[in-house]
Amino acid sequence: MLKKYKPFLRAGAMDTMAYRFNILVWAVITVCQVACLVFLWLAVYRSSEGGIDAVIHGFTYREMISYVVLTTVFGFVTFNNDTLWNINTDIKKGTIGNYLIKPISYRGKFAATSLGSLLMMTLMFGVPLYTAALAVLGSLGFLPDLTFPAFFAHLALFLLSGLCASLLNDTIAYIFGVLCFYTSSGWGLNSLKETLVAFLSGTLLPLAFFPAGLREAVSIMPFAGMSQNPILILMMKYDLAESLRAVALTAAWIVALELFAKLLFSHAIRKVTVQGG
Amino acid sequence: MIEVKDLTKVFRKPIRGSGLSGMVKTLFSRKYEEVRAVDGISFTVPDGEIVGYIGPNGAGKSTTIKMMCGILTPTSGSILIDGTEPCRKRQQVAQHIGVVFGQKTQLWWDIPLIESFKVLKEIYQIPDADYRERMAFLGEVLDITRFLSQPVRTLSLGERMRADLAASMIHNPRILFLDEPTIGMDVLVKEKIRLAIHALNRTYGTTVVLTTHDMTDIEDLCSRIILLEKGKIIYDGPLTDLKKRFGNIKTLTLTVPAEVHAGTAPVLSPEVAVSEEDGRLVLRFDADRIPLEQVVQYAFRDLRAMDMKIAEISIGDVVKTILEQQEAEHAEKV
Amino acid sequence: MRYVHLYFTCIKRSMISRLEYKKDTIVALFSFFFSNLCSLAAIYFILQSIPALAGYSLAEVGFFYGFSMLPISLDHLFSDEFWLVAYRRVQNGDMDMHFLRPVPVMFQVFAETFQPEGFGEMILGVALIIVCASNLTVTVSFGSIAVLTVGAVFGAVIITSFKVALSALAFIFKRSGPLLQIIYNFSNYAKYPLAIYPAVIRMLLIFVLPFGLFISLPVDTLLHGTHDPWLLCLAIILCAAVFFALAVRIWTFCERRYESTGS
Repeated sequence: MLKKYKPFLRAGAMDTMAYRFNILVWAVITVCQVACLVFLWLAVYRSSEGGIDAVIHGFTYREMISYVVLTTVFGFVTFNNDTLWNINTDIKKGTIGNYLIKPISYRGKFAATSLGSLLMMTLMFGVPLYTAALAVLGSLGFLPDLTFPAFFAHLALFLLSGLCASLLNDTIAYIFGVLCFYTSSGWGLNSLKETLVAFLSGTLLPLAFFPAGLREAVSIMPFAGMSQNPILILMMKYDLAESLRAVALTAAWIVALELFAKLLFSHAIRKVTVQGG
Repeated sequence: MIEVKDLTKVFRKPIRGSGLSGMVKTLFSRKYEEVRAVDGISFTVPDGEIVGYIGPNGAGKSTTIKMMCGILTPTSGSILIDGTEPCRKRQQVAQHIGVVFGQKTQLWWDIPLIESFKVLKEIYQIPDADYRERMAFLGEVLDITRFLSQPVRTLSLGERMRADLAASMIHNPRILFLDEPTIGMDVLVKEKIRLAIHALNRTYGTTVVLTTHDMTDIEDLCSRIILLEKGKIIYDGPLTDLKKRFGNIKTLTLTVPAEVHAGTAPVLSPEVAVSEEDGRLVLRFDADRIPLEQVVQYAFRDLRAMDMKIAEISIGDVVKTILEQQEAEHAEKV
Repeated sequence: MRYVHLYFTCIKRSMISRLEYKKDTIVALFSFFFSNLCSLAAIYFILQSIPALAGYSLAEVGFFYGFSMLPISLDHLFSDEFWLVAYRRVQNGDMDMHFLRPVPVMFQVFAETFQPEGFGEMILGVALIIVCASNLTVTVSFGSIAVLTVGAVFGAVIITSFKVALSALAFIFKRSGPLLQIIYNFSNYAKYPLAIYPAVIRMLLIFVLPFGLFISLPVDTLLHGTHDPWLLCLAIILCAAVFFALAVRIWTFCERRYESTGS
């Protein structure tokens, strides 16, 4: 059943490999970027009333730096996704018709491609990068003791939540991609999606910094599961119960949004005839 | 005038291992294999000629066209377009050539067709009077006037190709390169495109180089063909000569009674090859060696033919035969 | 003269394309304001939890942010197409079209798109500057106006130079989008006062990726009179000249090595 999606899984992995030059450059320069962010946070903590050792919204500066580093690695490994653009191109060039007559689901094709990309990124970059980040941060004392039985459970939950985050990201990209049917172009939608995710997932700033009302609202939205929750699970800031709840919430959102995407697509596809093929 | 001399293009392609482990290996070391897409070809196209540039997929047709346009740099050898090297002085050459890649449009996708032409007018610095004259001519021969105000993305494939052809001719290029201009078109559109190329060639003396897989295109349009295989030219000359190389080959297709079969039918001469296709007998022979009359008599008398069709060998068959011969020679060498 | 005329013809074409996608333009405009709102909210949330950032008040930090939008928006107006060159046009073969026309390729890329969104960005930047300045006591002098203007205009030239040079790499490597993206993202760090960074990073942002030179230093000069405005003007203009010349050299070098993809 799933076998026919294998070529797309492969294609996603292959594409990811093909641009190793870009990926390596990206990785190198990301380090510079993280360094800059680290300095911003150091300045924030130094400027705080309690000085450098203050705890701001539950984070010490050590935890905040760990958060920044891990979020960056996470984003790099997990959000390697061209779904929205590919749908947009299919709509603009009229090639979407080609897929509709093939015996595979349009949605499944993108999910498989993204999954292939995620697997490749995790193997090639995720394993060494997470290992290096955890080793360095751990030895600096920025992370709690990574003693094994406890950490192992968190690591497993982190991998699970990472997979969920990647799937959720693909679902959201797909929904925004399908919305291109209505706007005829993906520029605006893409930047809207990126902004929405960066802000509400806690990539820009941990949600703990948000004012109470907004924080409550965001915590039941799907976005936190795309970045903040996996990272807080890995950092063991969430206990196992909280972690499981976070993963379950994300999984529930994936199901809900997939259903929504299905409805949206069947509505949108009626517009294909208007666009012409 | 196009002068091509000893033209060679070698692509370096990374050798990819198969499967995931192969890909991982590629990441750390990369080996290249050399592919000679075009291998030491030479030809000259005088002004006003229509040349069919043909050969199987991957023979190096598009590569040659791209080098002649200046968007690929030859590995060795030279190309002169009216005395200028396209890859060195691309911009200068661009003013005098028109290009259509059948698979890709050079028109702006989102805007009414006429707006694309207005931009091209400025890009090629076409004077107003010339522009009006060309638009009238192209509007007529390609029949594009009807959909000038429609955005390109709403055009059908045939309409888009005609629009693309018009766009490539708007600046009155001296040379037109058409890479598969009739690919995917229906018969009527093909006909229209051929007529337009003829009209352009007659009216303005435009030199045309076209690649195609449609042999009717070749027979309708080209006085000369260049046949390419594995990057090498295996025939360059007039269409009539190519046919003559095979002698005056004719085929008779006969409707015969059910009991007559190729294997058991009486034989007239070893000169006449008898085969069976869809329940009909097909006789192939060289009319210079054995008179047509004699074969026709044999068909009615000995084979009891009830109906008959006489045909000259088609250019498609000729090309097919040449390529098969080449293939066989290659096989022998190996 | 010919190119001025041609530029406007192409820009008109670009605007007609945009009008074909009215809904997308509205979404883009909305998402643009939303994105800036998010960034400002993040700054606001952070500054809520501390008294001041390295000695800069909320209004001052807001001023930095607002001013950073001016050079970025100017660049945005004219050179958006380079993103596409870096990310996909070379790779998918769409670039061939430009190489088949008797007009310099770089000109065609500039003329391919005009982004009116840039105006929205500019207006937002100016509005933010005005709001923040009204909460500050700044002494406006001829010199400080000059240095802000030079910072905005020549800063845009420097940003565009980065885009030209880095997108040209796609002619050789087929895709250079991620590299361009990351360099461009460094402009985010010039949205904050340089004082928050250690010396090495400050040097980097002034001399290597000079976003700090044309964003942070002019604002510092206005707010605290840290530098001689005229000397700073000269430095920014010189820097822009060097970067632009270098960018054109790199573009020409890479353009000569362009090869159409596939066969």
